Amino acid sequence: MSNRAIPNAFVKNVLQNGLGRYICQLQRVTLNFCKATPSSLGTRDFIEKYLVDFTRENPGTVVYVKPIRNRAPFLVAEYLNGRQERVSTKDMPADEVCKWLEHLRTRSGAQIVNLRKEWLTNTPSTQGVWHPFLNKNPSLAGTSFPAPELYGAKTESKSATDMVLEEAGVKKVGSVDSASSKE
Amino acid sequence: MATQRVLQWRAFARTWWLYDAANQCPFVSAYRVVPYLQGKHKPIFHPLSDVGDHVVVINTKDIAMQADYWRTFTFFHHTGYPGGFSKASAWRVHEIDPTRVMQLSVYSRIKGNLLRKGLMRRLHLFPDDKIPDEILENVSDQIRQVQPVAKRLDQYSEEEVTEFPKFFDWPEDFVKDGYKRHMTRKKPKRRYTV
Repeated sequence: MSNRAIPNAFVKNVLQNGLGRYICQLQRVTLNFCKATPSSLGTRDFIEKYLVDFTRENPGTVVYVKPIRNRAPFLVAEYLNGRQERVSTKDMPADEVCKWLEHLRTRSGAQIVNLRKEWLTNTPSTQGVWHPFLNKNPSLAGTSFPAPELYGAKTESKSATDMVLEEAGVKKVGSVDSASSKE
Repeated sequence: MATQRVLQWRAFARTWWLYDAANQCPFVSAYRVVPYLQGKHKPIFHPLSDVGDHVVVINTKDIAMQADYWRTFTFFHHTGYPGGFSKASAWRVHEIDPTRVMQLSVYSRIKGNLLRKGLMRRLHLFPDDKIPDEILENVSDQIRQVQPVAKRLDQYSEEEVTEFPKFFDWPEDFVKDGYKRHMTRKKPKRRYTV
């Protein structure tokens, strides 16, 4: 986590993309492959089977197909924010190339980094920032400390003295009454 | 915005709390005090942010211990050198320094990590209620005590004592306890009954 070599940043979205309308951030993808070597076999299959469908479904994305001789195949995706992503498709079957291309298509183009926090807000809190004096009794400002009447422990049960006094109060009245009636 | 900066200062301002340890158990009091030192009572608490408060503890010479803990509870210490072990019972430690028992109970309550010494420096202990003015002027609130303080007999006025209700009178031949404790307790003789 606390590594200076690995970049870290906060969560971000490209200009609230998708809130009103969605703009595909992938602007151009280049499929580099060799016409002869077996490491490009899956990539060549992909171009034969699926590439036309991909271009029909994504008219906003430019697709370049670029033969290179005797080199391992790779995809280069260029995004609206100016960044490039490069994925090696060496020895991959056509399905896997398809998955990687889908991955590149759905990305925002922002660099993948360690997230410092999984949340972010640009709008300040509606109820205001918390502070230590929130919901405090204002009379504390005028109190001189220590104020023993403020910090005594709360007791819900009665003490023995209270119970005795209560009992005695009842008994006193009763005893006087009974004594007078007897007399 | 300039006000945002001020709001930040206000949110992270340290509060100074007062805690009266008179007639309070030091171990239970440590449970009450330590969250304030760590800042765990705040909604903005995060283990990586330094949001602990100051706690001023007064009247530590009047702390109360349950049962006969003053005699039986022992504090241990080792200097790290051979033969550096020493121990002292609670009453002895209290006699040497009346703030020490409270300090040790709070110290042992805090987890032993790098924050502990910093948190302990925000704990201000005073044997009585005499606090320096520069500390007292910071105090803005009080921590509630952990146990109710009973009123002693000598704190009642003579009227209150004489007018306290009596349920019955002692018989004339009844011997009241003189509040003297027998230092050597005799073992009761065993009586064999048929």
